[in-house]
Amino acid sequence: MSYHEFDCSKCIPERVKHAVDKNPGEELSDALPLGYLNTIPGSLSERGCAYCGAKHVIGTPMKDVIHISHGPIGCTYDTWQTKRYISDNDNFQLKYTFATDMKEKNIIFGAEKILKANIIEAFKAFPKIKRMTIYQTCASALIGDDIEAVAQDVMDEMPDVDIFVCNSPGFAGPSQSGGHHKINIAWVNKKVGQVEPKITSDHVINYVGEYNIQGDQEVMVDYFKRMGLQVLSTFTGNGSYDELRSMHRADLNVLECARSAEYICNELRKRYGIPRMDIDGCGFEPLSSSLRKIGLFFGIEDRANAIIEAETKRWKPELDWYKERLQGKKVCLWPGGSKLWHWAHAIHAEMGLEVVSVYTKFGHQGDMEKGISRCEVGALAIDDPNELESVEAMYKLKPDLIITGKRPGEVAKKIRVPYLNAHAYHNGPYKGYEGWVRFARDIYNAVYSPIHQLAFVDISKDEIATDQSFVTRQMLSDGKLSADVVNSTVLHEYTGEFDSLKRLRNAKYPEFPLQGKLAAV
Amino acid sequence: MEKTIKDGVESLMDYIMKNCLWQFNSRTWDRVEQNKNILEKATQIMCAEEVSKDTPSERYYWAEAQQMVESFLETFPWIKTMNATEIKEMMAGLKKRLDYQTITGSLNKELDDPNY
Repeated sequence: MSYHEFDCSKCIPERVKHAVDKNPGEELSDALPLGYLNTIPGSLSERGCAYCGAKHVIGTPMKDVIHISHGPIGCTYDTWQTKRYISDNDNFQLKYTFATDMKEKNIIFGAEKILKANIIEAFKAFPKIKRMTIYQTCASALIGDDIEAVAQDVMDEMPDVDIFVCNSPGFAGPSQSGGHHKINIAWVNKKVGQVEPKITSDHVINYVGEYNIQGDQEVMVDYFKRMGLQVLSTFTGNGSYDELRSMHRADLNVLECARSAEYICNELRKRYGIPRMDIDGCGFEPLSSSLRKIGLFFGIEDRANAIIEAETKRWKPELDWYKERLQGKKVCLWPGGSKLWHWAHAIHAEMGLEVVSVYTKFGHQGDMEKGISRCEVGALAIDDPNELESVEAMYKLKPDLIITGKRPGEVAKKIRVPYLNAHAYHNGPYKGYEGWVRFARDIYNAVYSPIHQLAFVDISKDEIATDQSFVTRQMLSDGKLSADVVNSTVLHEYTGEFDSLKRLRNAKYPEFPLQGKLAAV
Repeated sequence: MEKTIKDGVESLMDYIMKNCLWQFNSRTWDRVEQNKNILEKATQIMCAEEVSKDTPSERYYWAEAQQMVESFLETFPWIKTMNATEIKEMMAGLKKRLDYQTITGSLNKELDDPNY
C-alpha cells in the first residue's frame, strides 16, 4: 500500500501519512495510515472532543441516570438528541439533559456552589431517579472545580443517591476517543464491584461496546436470551447504572465496539480474569460466527445454531433480493471508528457493494489495520479527512452512496451523492439478521431514489420530456436484471414491521433452570 | 506438498485477516498471547489432539479456535486431506506470517504503549 496525497492537502505535508491506497500485492506492513494524533494546524479536522466521547457516546446511553454537564450550556445542548440511543424506559436519557449553565462570572468566582445546587435540584425534579453522572467540561476543568468533592457532599446528605464523576474535559484528548478511554477507566476504577447482582443463569455475560442505536442492543439481547444467557449489564446502551456496577460477576465480556470499550474489557480481564471476546453483530456470516463462538464458550452451541438457522431461513431471501439489485454499486464507508471494519467485508460479500473507500473520524491505527484487512484491493483508506479531502475523494471515486455521519453527509448531499447515516442510522436497527435487511433496504432506497436523476435536471435549459412519467426505484433497479431474478418467487423485498422492536419488547423467553456453575466444557 | 503448504498458509492467512478480530488486540503483549494460544489450540483441534479448556481464558482461546477451524474446514476442504505433520507445518507457517503482519512488522505505533 502506498500513501495517498490529496491535491488539496499538498500544502499540509503531514497529511500524506494519513491516507493509504490498498494496492494489489501489498500488505499492512507496507503502509498504514497514522491515527489518533493531535490535530494538524490548518487541517480543520471534523473530529469531536473528549467530553463528547465520554458523555455523548458512552455515558448518556445509561437509561436510569440523570446526566449533568458541569459547564456552559453549549456543551450539553450540542450533545443532546443527536444520537438515537433509545431505551426501554421511555427514553428518559434522550428526553432530558441537564447542565449547570456556567457563565463568565462562574469562571471568575468558581462554580462549585451552583453545581451542588443543580445536583440537588435535578434529583428533586425527578425523585424516582437516584443515580447521576456528572461530566466535566473544558470550562470547569480549567478553573479547577472539585466535582468529586461536591458529589461526595451530596451523597453524604442524600444517602440513597449515587453519583459518578467523569473528568474528561474536551481538551483531554485529540478526539472523542480520548473521552472513551477516560470514562472506561473511571468507571472500572470507581464503580465496578460495588453491587452484587442476582445470578439467574449458568451463563453470564456483559455486553460491552453497544449503545442501543435505534434498538441494536435489544436485537442482540433477544438472541442472547433465546440462548439462555444472562446479560448482566450492557456497557452502556439501554444499560442500567447499578447493573454496570456489577460487571465483575460475568463469565465473559462480549465486545462489540472495541474502539470505544476495549479498555474496560481489558481491565476486567486483568482484575477479574473475565475473558474478552470480540464479535460482529452486523452481517449474516459474521453474526452467525459470533453467536456460535459465544455458544461454544458456554457449551450451548446447539442453541446458537438453532437461532442462526431460523433467522437465516426467514431473512436471507429478502437480503438476496437487495443483493441482486445492489451488485457493483460503489460505496464510501466513512463512519467514526469501528464500523469501517464491522461493515466493510460484510456489505461487499452479502450486498454486492464495492467499497471504494473506508475512513475513520477518530479511530486509531488498530481500526485501520482491521478496516484495510477487510476491504478489497483498490480502496482508499483515510484517517480523519477534512471537508476538502472528502470532497476531492468523492469527485475522484464517484461513489453511488456515502455511509457516514450527519456532518460529512450534508457535504455529500450538496454534491448530490446520496448519504446514509452510519452513526444514528436512517431506519434501524441495523444489527441482527432482520436489521441487516433493513440496512440493505435503506441502501437500496438511497441509491435508486428517482430524486437523484431529477436533481441533475436544469429546467432553465434542459429538454424536459413530456411523454414520460416519473420512474420508480424498481424501474431503475430492475432494468438490467434477468427475468428469473425479477420474477423470482423466492426473493422479495423487506416484509418486516415499521417498528421491529415492538415484538422484542413483549417477547417471552425459554426457561433454562440454574444447574450450578459451568463445568469444564 | 511444499507448494500446497505455502498456498495453504496464504489461504488461511487471508481468511483470518478478512474474518477474525482476535489477532488485532491493541498491544504487542496481547497479540503475542492471542496468536500463540489460539493458533496452538486450532492446530490441536485440526490434528484431533486433546485441548485444554480448564480456565476461562483457555476456554475463550478454544472457542475462538474451534469456530475458526469449523470455518476453515467448510471453506477449505483440502485441509481434510492433510496429515498431522503437514497441518502442523502449515500452522507454524501461518503463525510466522501472522506474527509478522500483526506484531513484528506492524506499523501500529500504539502496540508498544505499556498501558491499556
